[in-house]
Amino acid sequence: MANNSVANPVKRRTLGQWLRGYTGQKYLTTVLFLAVPIALLVLFTIIPAINMIIFSFQQRDQLGLNVEWVGLDNYKTLFTDMSYLSTLINSLYYFVGSFIQLGLALFIATLLCSKIKLAGVFKGVIFFPYLMNGVAVALIFQRFFRGDDGGTLNSIISLFGADPIKWLSNTSLNNWCLVFASVWRYIGFDILMFIGAIQSISPDIYEAADLDGANAWQKFWHIIFPGIRTIIALQLILAIKGAASVFEIPYIITGGKFGTSTFVIKTIETGFQYQKIGLASAMAIVLLIIILIITVIQKIFFKEKR
Amino acid sequence: MKAKRILAGILAASAAVSLAACSSSSTSSTGTTSSTKGDTSSTESNASTDASSTETPSGEKLTLKVLTHRTDRKDDGSLDAMTDAFEEKYNCTVEYQAFKDYAGDVSTMMNTKEYGDVLMIPDTVKLSDLSSFFEPLGSYDELKDKYRWADKKMFDGTVYGLAHVGAVSGGICYNKRVWEEAGITTLPKTADEFIADLKLIKEKFPDTIPYYTNYKDGSWTLCQWPSLVMSASGDAEYENKKLTNKEDLFVEGDAYYNVFKMMYDVFSDSTLIEADPVSSDWEGSKLMIAKGEIATMTMGSWAVSQFKQVATENGLNPDDIAYMPAPFSKDGKQYAETTSDYCIGVNKNSDDAHKDLGKKYIEWFIAESGFSKAEGGINTLQGSEMPDYLTAFSDCVFFEKATAPEGLTGVWDAIDKESEVGIWQGDAANFKLQMAEAAFAAKGDAGFKEIVDAVNAKWNTARDANADLAAYLG
Repeated sequence: MANNSVANPVKRRTLGQWLRGYTGQKYLTTVLFLAVPIALLVLFTIIPAINMIIFSFQQRDQLGLNVEWVGLDNYKTLFTDMSYLSTLINSLYYFVGSFIQLGLALFIATLLCSKIKLAGVFKGVIFFPYLMNGVAVALIFQRFFRGDDGGTLNSIISLFGADPIKWLSNTSLNNWCLVFASVWRYIGFDILMFIGAIQSISPDIYEAADLDGANAWQKFWHIIFPGIRTIIALQLILAIKGAASVFEIPYIITGGKFGTSTFVIKTIETGFQYQKIGLASAMAIVLLIIILIITVIQKIFFKEKR
Repeated sequence: MKAKRILAGILAASAAVSLAACSSSSTSSTGTTSSTKGDTSSTESNASTDASSTETPSGEKLTLKVLTHRTDRKDDGSLDAMTDAFEEKYNCTVEYQAFKDYAGDVSTMMNTKEYGDVLMIPDTVKLSDLSSFFEPLGSYDELKDKYRWADKKMFDGTVYGLAHVGAVSGGICYNKRVWEEAGITTLPKTADEFIADLKLIKEKFPDTIPYYTNYKDGSWTLCQWPSLVMSASGDAEYENKKLTNKEDLFVEGDAYYNVFKMMYDVFSDSTLIEADPVSSDWEGSKLMIAKGEIATMTMGSWAVSQFKQVATENGLNPDDIAYMPAPFSKDGKQYAETTSDYCIGVNKNSDDAHKDLGKKYIEWFIAESGFSKAEGGINTLQGSEMPDYLTAFSDCVFFEKATAPEGLTGVWDAIDKESEVGIWQGDAANFKLQMAEAAFAAKGDAGFKEIVDAVNAKWNTARDANADLAAYLG
């Protein structure tokens, strides 16, 4: 007993003492620093997300009156009335566009990493659209694709004697026009990521390849590509996620008219024009699940290759 | 090390400043006048202090908080200037809070109890829910002789809101000079005459756009078309009859069909409309119609004053802008429906002193404020004078849409929402937009019929599933 009472004062410190000690300070700092972002995350992401999941099992309007539990009815409506899910088809355009975007980005990134003049300027110019506000980009392309002779693109093609084309109301062209605008905006980000990945490859390997007499294509295929495969996988997931949830560009340029509506536009219309908040929440959950499934598939796919 | 610390300090300071900037901009974007109520967390405590201050009989001034959609009239100060008289008369302060996206923002606010003392009732509130949010203003029988459109926000014979101003619901804006110079002396009374007149304008003035669709903003510009329907029907009971007779929404020869067929026919003729409707420009079109580069647009009467204003600002003649009744006749007579704009109601959650003052405010606003005259609207008081721009309507029969009979209240809107037909909506899959797109693609009468059939099918499914209607019909 006596021995214990001597030894214990070291171990049995008060909370205040513990906090002043090294471990205490370490935990306190961590907790305090994490508290703010976690509080914001909970308040603005977690709670609304949980609410949304609850809403998706309810029939409710924007005012939150007349709430009625309907179980899986909202999901049943989504999968039986195809007018909701059919808007996902337009995502295929953006899906195809995202592959073109990745290929092009990889090409430009590789070019910019080789010894060319003014590489910094090009990087800046190409990355700039990504920094611009999405609304501004949409407004620029609205002007660019105007269908009368006042549009930028039509003015250019009229120099070659072509008649003005109704880019945005021609249903076989308009989705590609929107994809073009989307690629233009987001390609800078892809290029930047690729440049970062390529530059992280040790220059020694290039030197060795040079000594072995490898040409540019061999260097790309055997050094650059394997070195940045994880980044490509990441970009692919982001691109598919972007394609499924594309919103601002079609919403502002065409408002979803002439068959350019997307799933997110449809969700907003269902929720805020027809006041079917429950159904719209269910649509959001379905979109979430689709993206989760794609992500899982990607993970499995890329693990096998490794 | 020191430099790093300074840098961190600067970063933290700039972050704080940008956060502050965010919060201040968010309050200013909603046009908050009060600096104290910008923060939602403090509203509860404010409300209680307000309440206690009103109970002190020391003659302290009440502050009436009014929510309005008229950001323009709030920003140019005319609303505040107008209200000085009221503030003096009742020794109080009126505080306006204006919202750009009024219905959206206020609907969200109405999830709490803090949504002003007096406010425009957003149409998102179902008639049957009015009593949960608003103070009754009186019974319909009491108010109907004094006010027009008293039934607009009524449930079970109790009125919860009165129109702050009203207008002729449906009509067509046109440039009078262009129409007259094209040799048109009498305004069209039928859809065929209307289209023939547009063609005549194109013939006389090939550079003029006879009809401007404004399709890029179709989500709301096309919503001007259904407002012609009641006038075209010339029947106050039109919608009620459609429900009780279980009629299709679109029946050939009937008002809905006629109005949208006319729209379809105008839009189908590419010589009558602008070159690329998807690149239309609403703000630009105001100047174009003032100049006479556009001859005609289907717009609510609210647009007349906007067009005239643009004409005046650009040194053009505002009298060129005129308004014609819907070109449809019934038994040789043209009809014009008058409708209310937003109705004003009193927040149920305010204390009694504020509620009383709020009711006085509504009475004063309608009868004495002079708002309707300044805006060129129809005053809500029965028997008030009609505004000047309605000269072309002199031969029309004015009427108000009849109230839905008891048991049928709100059924029309419920079917409209449930079926997602969306008579007044402008979503991408909406029938109006589909009609316009089919017309632009020159799909002819078959294209029109296909859309109409689909709408009828959707409407009928939702109507037959509607429990209230089934109960009403027994």
